[in-house]
Amino acid sequence: MRILRWLPGRLFSAVIVLLGASLLIFAAGRSLPGDYANTVLGPLSSEEARVELRESFGFDRSLPEQYVLWLRNALEGDFGLSLASQRPVREEIASRLPITALLAAMGMVLTIAIGVPLGVYAGCHVADGRRSAATRIVSTIGISLPEFVVGSVVVFLFSHFDFGLTVGTFVSPAEDFGAGIVSLLLPALVMAIPCIAATARATRNAVIDVLVEPHIAAAIARGETPGFIIRHHVLRNALIPVLTLTAIIMAYLLGGAIIVERVFNVPGLGSYLVLALGRRDYPVIQAVVLLTTAIFVLMSLLVDILTGIIDPRVAVTKAGPGA
Amino acid sequence: MRIQLPTAGAVVLAFLLSNIVPATIPRAAAEEAAPGFQAVADMNLPAGGTLRVYLDYDTVAAAGLDPRVATTARSWTLMGLSYETLVKVDEKFGFVPGLAKSWKIVSPTEYVFDLREDAVFSNGRPMTAEDVKGSIEMLQESKSSWALQLGPIASVDITGPHQVTIRLSAPYTALLGALANTPAAILPVKEARAGTIDLSKQMVGTGPYVATAHVQDESWTFTKNPHHPDAAKIGVDTIDIEIVADEANRLAAIRDGSAHYAFFNNADALDLLAGSPQARVVKQQNTDFYYLILNSKNPTSPLHDERVRLAVNAAIDRAQLSDLALAGLGLTTGVTPVTLPGACDPAKLPSATLSDAEISKLLADAGATNIKLSLTTWNEESAPAQIAQIIQQQLQRFGITIEIKVVDDPAYVAEFYGSDQPATADIGISWYAGYGDAAMVSRWWNTEQATFTARYMTGSPELNALVVKASQEPQGASRDQVLTELCAAVDKGAEQIPLMTRPGVIAYRTDKVSPTINTNEGYGNLLRYITDFRLTGTK
Repeated sequence: MRILRWLPGRLFSAVIVLLGASLLIFAAGRSLPGDYANTVLGPLSSEEARVELRESFGFDRSLPEQYVLWLRNALEGDFGLSLASQRPVREEIASRLPITALLAAMGMVLTIAIGVPLGVYAGCHVADGRRSAATRIVSTIGISLPEFVVGSVVVFLFSHFDFGLTVGTFVSPAEDFGAGIVSLLLPALVMAIPCIAATARATRNAVIDVLVEPHIAAAIARGETPGFIIRHHVLRNALIPVLTLTAIIMAYLLGGAIIVERVFNVPGLGSYLVLALGRRDYPVIQAVVLLTTAIFVLMSLLVDILTGIIDPRVAVTKAGPGA
Repeated sequence: MRIQLPTAGAVVLAFLLSNIVPATIPRAAAEEAAPGFQAVADMNLPAGGTLRVYLDYDTVAAAGLDPRVATTARSWTLMGLSYETLVKVDEKFGFVPGLAKSWKIVSPTEYVFDLREDAVFSNGRPMTAEDVKGSIEMLQESKSSWALQLGPIASVDITGPHQVTIRLSAPYTALLGALANTPAAILPVKEARAGTIDLSKQMVGTGPYVATAHVQDESWTFTKNPHHPDAAKIGVDTIDIEIVADEANRLAAIRDGSAHYAFFNNADALDLLAGSPQARVVKQQNTDFYYLILNSKNPTSPLHDERVRLAVNAAIDRAQLSDLALAGLGLTTGVTPVTLPGACDPAKLPSATLSDAEISKLLADAGATNIKLSLTTWNEESAPAQIAQIIQQQLQRFGITIEIKVVDDPAYVAEFYGSDQPATADIGISWYAGYGDAAMVSRWWNTEQATFTARYMTGSPELNALVVKASQEPQGASRDQVLTELCAAVDKGAEQIPLMTRPGVIAYRTDKVSPTINTNEGYGNLLRYITDFRLTGTK
């Protein structure tokens, strides 16, 4: 198992990345102008009242002291109390993460279900200039359109016309799973659009690359049907770059739902982070950004592992010459 | 027959445009449903049902659910469902009975309140005179900014089984106005002092509703308070409140019927809902007003010179600001909110009478030609940034170049408030709640009382004295005269210059709810007449 040779090193570097990220996240949060006391007490409050509030949350301590304390508690799974709600951040995240995770999973399903067939179709019809151009244009538009634009248009159209889906109500999947899935359908689609486009493009390119390889010509010479060739020869070999992209997309969907969640009023991690930033709710900002970073790091690690399993040559390269 | 793609696209586009854009865009109904009201509930409709309300932001829980420290209009609205005050304001800003069934002003320094005998807290305990006395005293002891508005209360005495007497150390005409807002709510003092109720976490008031569920920044559920003496007359059983920060989402919720009643800061909501046949949109004029900070504390800034500040003040065309940034809904105002009785006439302010030549001369005399000023505003609402851009163009005519910086709320507060170090920015845009008495908001121009202005406002003993005098004069012509003098002094000093009122927009579904909405509001309470609301679909 060559993978076991390089995996500990990758895990160690992941931990170093997370530690560095935690320091950056802490420093970035505290360097924002204004603080929590400003927001919660409002402009009409006295400086005395603000000082008192800062002291009550321990913000009067030195920044290194605060960082060490926070990191120590975070390692034990304690991210402190949300300044805004006075509830443990861990509990707040636990209630919001499943919503974001479900939204991301739905986005992922849509991405794979639409993006991969679209890419295969485009790759197999690359000789057809009009179809090839059309798929390129569509995927470019899909990647280029900002989520807030697509989201706003969707919210407007679905609220103005009766298409059978409402955008003004979020139903918690924990209360009604079916209705929850339906209420997340449009936000998931909006999130998935750039991912579908990127996946379609990556799949198309991978398919084109595989189609010119000799074993495809051999398969055709053997008289295998086009469907069989695509399923058994093209897709399998085109999978590696798509798999890499898919993992990155999953991390993006989990951590990047900020705009979509706000536009569709989905109470997930993204909208939670926006609220926390606007209030300088430091424990929440630090915990959510650290969690998002951890997701990216873990996804990256997962891709490395999967790629190493699928194509051992990659593992050899990662382990270094002679490994 | 094959339809070509461009043709099909044109047909679809034409269909969408014809359905989305109304032929003529109607403004909110200019006519009131009744004097002082934009809408009046149909009381013939049966009571019951659940009302769905969409608001833009929640209370901030770390400040607690304690009404004494509530500083935002949404907190006042939400807490106002569960708490009541001694007096209330009516649609004409007159004071009407609340928990006090009547009151007598014995002298300018003595107010006697006779309390309702049937008021009961939501835990079932009847309200007593001790609760009233204790609530006012606890507010005075708190660090709440509303304690300042309460005025010079010397004592609160129980003078009868259901009677409380408030004595002042000096006359204070705005006392009733201060007692009418949620921070002065009557609390279950006995339980609060015994520690059996934590006011920061639990709302136990005498109001018509009890909060039965709350998820911070997401939602509230209020149910009818069965102990309320008027429970049988309350029109809606349950209120589900969704906190929806995104304005477009609230618009969508009104369009598709998810929301029955929603609030909007953006005046464009009037137009954006114009094509929705079931939605009725009304403007609610507030006593709140936008103002401009002209920082006089920075000795290196041109605004250190009063002549430059007056020139900037005079160069701003408020009507144009209102037309372009607020769809014409904002009303030019002086420091006394123009919608309140006794308010001064903004057209007669010193800055309003200066010609362009006089403005240029003021700048020239101060040596302030071709100057650059920084303007900082915040991004929570769309209007301030738009106002900033229009002011930038208006001042350009007089050789004043404005550099605009838009920041978020905490950064804005850090820039202008809370410390005695001079702010670095020259100009700021913000807004004040105007409350229910013409003299209340003017306290924020008294540098001895409003210490939070220390970063940008120098003030003067004369101005401070005028603010105090305005709060002491009894209602009448002499008070109106003092208020006029106060407006002129604020305008001339030009350190915080009032611009125009900050109206709100309320939309509701006519097929879902029949609400009562007052035309003018002083405390941002969007649900002031909630007990009158009726659901149109209730059988």
